[in-house]
Amino acid sequence: MKIAMIGWEYPPFKAGGLGTHCYGLTRSLAEKNVQVDFYMPKTKHRANSDKPNLKIIEVGETEIFPYDRPNDKELAGMFFEAVYRYNDLVVQKVKGRYDAIHCHDWLTVKAGVALKEKYGVPLILSVHSTEYDRSGWIYPNDWFINIEREGMQKADKIIAVSHFTKQVIVEKYGIDPNKIAVVHNAVYPLGQGEKKNLVLFLGRLTIQKGAEFFLRAAKKVLENEQTTFVVAGMGDMFPKLIKEAIHLGIANKVIFTGLLTEEEVKHIYRIASVYVMPSVSEPFGITALEAISAGTPTIVSKTAGVAEAFNNCLRVDFWDTDEMANKIVSLLRYDPLHRTLSEQGKQEIDLFTWDRVASKTIDVYQGVIHT
Amino acid sequence: MYFEVHQPFRLNRFSVFNIGKNSSSSADYFNQKLNRQIFEKVAKKCYLPTNEVLLNLIKETDGKFRISYSLTGTFIECCERWMPSVIDSFRNLYDTGAVDFIEETYYHSLAGLYDDLTEFKDQVAMHREMMKRVFGYKPQIFRNTEAIYDNRIASTIESMGYKGIITEGTEKILSWRSPNYLYKPVNGSIKVLMRNYQLSDDVGFRFSAKGWVGYPLTADKYAKWMASNHGDLINLFIDYETFGEHQWTETGIFEFLKHLPHEVFKHKHLNFVTVSEAADRYQPIGDIDVPWAISWADADRDVSTWLGNEMQVACFNELKDLGLKIKDQKDPELLHTWRCLQTSDHLYYVSTKGFEDGNVHAYFSHYDNPYDGFINYMNILQDLKQKVS
Repeated sequence: MKIAMIGWEYPPFKAGGLGTHCYGLTRSLAEKNVQVDFYMPKTKHRANSDKPNLKIIEVGETEIFPYDRPNDKELAGMFFEAVYRYNDLVVQKVKGRYDAIHCHDWLTVKAGVALKEKYGVPLILSVHSTEYDRSGWIYPNDWFINIEREGMQKADKIIAVSHFTKQVIVEKYGIDPNKIAVVHNAVYPLGQGEKKNLVLFLGRLTIQKGAEFFLRAAKKVLENEQTTFVVAGMGDMFPKLIKEAIHLGIANKVIFTGLLTEEEVKHIYRIASVYVMPSVSEPFGITALEAISAGTPTIVSKTAGVAEAFNNCLRVDFWDTDEMANKIVSLLRYDPLHRTLSEQGKQEIDLFTWDRVASKTIDVYQGVIHT
Repeated sequence: MYFEVHQPFRLNRFSVFNIGKNSSSSADYFNQKLNRQIFEKVAKKCYLPTNEVLLNLIKETDGKFRISYSLTGTFIECCERWMPSVIDSFRNLYDTGAVDFIEETYYHSLAGLYDDLTEFKDQVAMHREMMKRVFGYKPQIFRNTEAIYDNRIASTIESMGYKGIITEGTEKILSWRSPNYLYKPVNGSIKVLMRNYQLSDDVGFRFSAKGWVGYPLTADKYAKWMASNHGDLINLFIDYETFGEHQWTETGIFEFLKHLPHEVFKHKHLNFVTVSEAADRYQPIGDIDVPWAISWADADRDVSTWLGNEMQVACFNELKDLGLKIKDQKDPELLHTWRCLQTSDHLYYVSTKGFEDGNVHAYFSHYDNPYDGFINYMNILQDLKQKVS
């Protein structure tokens, strides 16, 4: 079986779950004797493969922006143009015989649809997030939605990262539920470090990720408990969040780290005592699996995809900052709770392998090829 | 046939930020609105209709159909508070003379596992007084919470004057021996009734399981299975909520029950006895030695359901250690609260046992997961601790 996979990002350069997913998926597919040509925009970092079945093919000279939904108008214009140019170049570059085309999110939909039509092979679309998620369900942009819908309609099969996302695809995009397979994400376990008294948020500082709720919970916690809060990541909400921390009077207890390197990310997951993912809308939330794999008890938003798939974590409504604070303090105060969640979490993580993701993806391929 | 009838007092949401700040009464720990809702629902779906079916069966068979109940103290409190007619329907059953009652701890607690058994004995005595007050009956047979049993509990109960004690007929203890006889503890002479878990669970768990070879289970088929059992007696001990609650009316559970005695009587060597009659009629045929506690819960048949993880042990110890201080204070409300918190259900909600058992736990729990159960319960225990000191 030979697959042309159209990606957008790939480690070492990545901005989100899409890149992490493509990395784990392509490597495990290759190990299972699927030949994968992974197309992606050329960057200054070079992405490499050490697997004979997996070829990374970099296309064009496109500069990647570390945002998936730029707010700044000028930047947005350049970004969309880059996405378009990349999609055009991919269509020109993809040659040869493939059993299927597999593309990821709106960023690669245009190329996927064009290639399906050009070569008459099945198209698989993975949905890692929709415009509704990225906008936090506030003023979602039709321009993105239309591209997403076109991809969903033209695809022979859609892979959603959660039942939550499947539901969105059915309800908001009017797609037949039988066309959608759910494949939950996975993680390469990080291993535990020596825990420090700190509570971590890590993610893009966008409206989708809900960092402001983390700060409000922090305020409540700090009235009762000595600890340090860390906000790791960058994004357009950054200035607002700093102002909010000052306004809440907790600026001396909150550290904003800015963008972290991959090594720094791993380190901070390992030493954090609690990880909080208060996303307003989260199709899956791989960061939760990363934190749990580092032995860090994790509080996730109830509607996050990971919350439906993973048992050994705590769940809150993202807006319920009182309950979020209750859970943070309980984790800091009650060692038996902390230890049990940490241990049981690490055990459950072993079920979330990329090998499993690849097997389920192969099932999807087999369902559309030869039909 | 014997039925366990129990309701816990489920807890209100109690945040860590409320600890020590709430000056109001400790009775506020309990979510009586939720408890009332659940109680009324179960009363309508299970207690009242099942009582009626059984009462009719007793009348139809001229009292040859005979059964036993254990009613917990917290259950009786629910009845008295919200639906006294439920107690009346149990009285009607008792008045037939074909029904007797079983003793247990008033609070359906784990006090039998404390290092000091004073509290355990107090709660058994409370249950005895309650049975006397409500039914004018003095139980002869004891069954501990969820059939938790070990040598120490057996000898304590024997010293309190009971004729018999009920526990699980697990192979862990019996090995090749049959549960269909009475036994006695290695360290005493009280009669031990061993639950036939195979036949009991055929009704309690498997009745509506479509993948099961016995499905659909009819009364005549079940009576034939009973008839082919060897031994003196078959102990069918079933959670009362099986009827109409765990197994809905639509599964045919009530029809099964209505036909069962008649089908059983078609086999000449079968008849029904209450638990105290069973203890009078038969003699032990051997010893059982149970140094480590067993129970009828989960697949493990031990106490790991309540004390299987570190969080449960922490809560158990916290609660137990509050006891001495609370008893010193001689504040009846505080004492009652402390005891209601000992109801085993609170620890059951904190169990992290996975897969098959975990699903059962989730079915019975009003928490999102065991961790939420722990946080809420532990927060309340911390608040109670501050109230006491």
